[in-house]
Amino acid sequence: MSKNIQIRLASQRINTSVPGNQRYPKIFTPGQVITAQNEFMRGHGTYEENGELKASVAGVREQVNNLISIRPLKSRYNGEIGDVVVGRITEVQQKRWKVDTNSRLDSALLLSSVNLPGGELRRRSVEDEHMMRQFLQEGDLISAEVQNVYSDGSLSLHTRSLRYGKLGQGVLVKVFPSLIKRSKTHFHNLPVGASIILGNNGLIWICTSINNSEESVGGFVQNLEEVVPRQERETICRIRNCILALTQSKMMLYDTSILYAYEESLKYSVAELLIPEAMLDIAILTQQRLTMLENA
Amino acid sequence: MALCDAEKTFVLHGVQDNFRIDGRELDDYRPMELETDVVSHAFGSARLRLANTDVLVAVKIELDVPFPESPQNGKIEFFVDCSANATPEFEGRGGEDLAIAISNTLTTAYSSSLAFDSRKLCLLNGKKCWKLYVDILILECGGNLFDAVSIAVKAALWNTRIPFVKNVNIDGNNIDLDVSDDLCLCERLDIENAPVMVTVCKIGDKCIVDPNAAEEHCSMGSVVVAVSGTKISTIYQTGTGSLHPATLTESLQLGFRVAIRLNEALSKVLSRIRPDEEAGFLK
Amino acid sequence: MPVDHKRINGPEDTVPYSLYTKTNKQSLTEQYEEIRKTGQRTDSRAFSEHRKIFVRTGAVSQAKGSAYIELDNTKVIVSVFDPREIPNRPDYSLKGELYCEFKFAPFSCHKRRLHVQDAEEKQHSAIMKRALESTVCLHEFPNFQVDVYATVLENDGSCLSAAITAAGLALAHAGVPMYDIITSVTMGIQRDTFFVDPTVTEQNICLYPRPSESDTEHGIVVLSKLHTHDQVSQFYQFGNVSLDKLNESISILDETCRELVPIVQKYLVKHVVKNLQRNT
Repeated sequence: MSKNIQIRLASQRINTSVPGNQRYPKIFTPGQVITAQNEFMRGHGTYEENGELKASVAGVREQVNNLISIRPLKSRYNGEIGDVVVGRITEVQQKRWKVDTNSRLDSALLLSSVNLPGGELRRRSVEDEHMMRQFLQEGDLISAEVQNVYSDGSLSLHTRSLRYGKLGQGVLVKVFPSLIKRSKTHFHNLPVGASIILGNNGLIWICTSINNSEESVGGFVQNLEEVVPRQERETICRIRNCILALTQSKMMLYDTSILYAYEESLKYSVAELLIPEAMLDIAILTQQRLTMLENA
Repeated sequence: MALCDAEKTFVLHGVQDNFRIDGRELDDYRPMELETDVVSHAFGSARLRLANTDVLVAVKIELDVPFPESPQNGKIEFFVDCSANATPEFEGRGGEDLAIAISNTLTTAYSSSLAFDSRKLCLLNGKKCWKLYVDILILECGGNLFDAVSIAVKAALWNTRIPFVKNVNIDGNNIDLDVSDDLCLCERLDIENAPVMVTVCKIGDKCIVDPNAAEEHCSMGSVVVAVSGTKISTIYQTGTGSLHPATLTESLQLGFRVAIRLNEALSKVLSRIRPDEEAGFLK
Repeated sequence: MPVDHKRINGPEDTVPYSLYTKTNKQSLTEQYEEIRKTGQRTDSRAFSEHRKIFVRTGAVSQAKGSAYIELDNTKVIVSVFDPREIPNRPDYSLKGELYCEFKFAPFSCHKRRLHVQDAEEKQHSAIMKRALESTVCLHEFPNFQVDVYATVLENDGSCLSAAITAAGLALAHAGVPMYDIITSVTMGIQRDTFFVDPTVTEQNICLYPRPSESDTEHGIVVLSKLHTHDQVSQFYQFGNVSLDKLNESISILDETCRELVPIVQKYLVKHVVKNLQRNT
């Protein structure tokens, strides 16, 4: 597409939805009666009126034993303990950092829940409190795990593992949290030469492959001098555009789907992946391969 | 949105390597989507979507008296509304500075009669003329506003239909206009030389066009180049930071080159537009 | 448009009498033809010659810093006031801000100006802010705002660049930390003629295309320059000019801006020396 500027007409807009292979669940709208029987318990996204249980958000029904809740189709991130998140520091406070994790309230990262340089079993001294901005300052990106969910829904994070910590050079992509598939690990070293962190909160971090031998993650060191080589940069950018293509067609994101999309995208140049037709093509092809995988 | 140093470094190195974070080269544009004739109450309208930027332009026409200084010219006025729909930052008077900057740049870009001949809007020398109100509504703001607005304005003016005046009767001080009832009978504007703006963004020591939000964050300043035909009609700088004279000439050249390509693409797509092909906002 | 009833506004639809005199628009073409024929401007300057400039500081005694500039009949006064906290801003900003207001006095132009800032004045204010922002060390006064007010007393062309040069001087006079001295020059282009530092008539000549067979280029260019860093802090153009001509004008303006620097420098030094003498 290079050297050509694409202006398309709205009448030629393409439908980006990809035919799924499962039945669509029923979607409730606010005020709609879910059930009139009153043996059920009221969960999130519902309210009770005249003995009837009604939905308060648009979404799908989820039932655990007697508890009925409605999961909204599009929402900010609702944290759960153990989730992997990617977040951005918004404020440095006394003994804690405020982190924007795309959830309803700001999350907190306590000074006591990070690994400070110089070993795990170090006491936090007053100097450390003064040095907080040198570890993490406003705007920095971190990967972390949800340690605790407070009663108001705000999260407390920790980075007390070498996998977590400040992120270096790379690209951040923001998608709906509901598109991230929960899996055993959210850190993936893709065989194509890049690694991704699929934050449960809908923030995806793509960067160069992390060598497990040298512990670059988990610390607070960033190498700003290092230039990412062209080939790795291309891979990172291609993955970024593939994720956006899958997101546009509302497909679930996990290592296999991203890897398939990447492989299908190789016939296009990276810049061509911005064209809606190419994006749809990749989404459809990926969907087909995933279906084949399921049926096999 | 804030970016951390490492992300900025990644963007910067990418620009230096002529490979930006979405895979584009320095002078590549993202695909856009254009639709004309979207507002039924307007004489002409257009909507343009460029990534996350969404602009709606409508043209209204009224009768007016020409300025005494320029009795042979009609009038054209631009008004930009940065609605709080776009981003909460525009709430209240938040978007005012940006709106004024865009509308003033448009006004100066259209001021030369070689770019837009307002003499065609004059009905009776010194007495009656058309006045075009070009209302620009920013629906969504995802960066690169100047470019998107200028393309949408040009498309809206292309779409504009001016009622056909059959006869002008002068009876003493009374002027009687005989406007054709036939809706199909109307005049169109000559927009061949209507300016197209390209924002050239300086990142590091390289210049890029059509920056996305992350790239806009890394840039110290940008130059808006408005090109009408093969001439430059307005240059306006935005943001802070200064440029070396050599960089300035370089960015002018880049902007000029891209604007000509952009203009070609636009006229190609305008010629493809068929009437009654409607898409609407959400389809 | 809101009207201020406490002021004399005059009837809304008045027509300047000059429209009925001989010097109306038609004759601008003739004037241009004459200039082309004689190869000399009306004030017998060369085309690339800047007008004699007169600057002085301290014109407004109550302001923190002020400057007055005269380019023959163009007269601009600029005052700079003490930094104050940025009003109506809840969050703390690490950098200071500049607030610029460019205003034509009601009597400064041929046509009477209103007291409310119009679109042109707002545009000029924005350009002025843009030009000055990169010369002031904004990080030295975080969360503060410096107000710069420029009033054109008499407009005989190039008033924007005069205001920018004077504002740079006024900021220096006020002791606001600056990276460099800023100078600014306007240029008018009509076909193949470059008018450096145009007067109001010359500006009007350049405002509209003259009827001609082939090359119809016209426009006005304003360039502001930081001299020692060799940086263009602001560049503004309108009209209809080809790229080549624009590049040519940039180099001419660059040169002229450089010529102005010693004048401004000399005046600043003179001011300091004078103050020292007064103190001893």
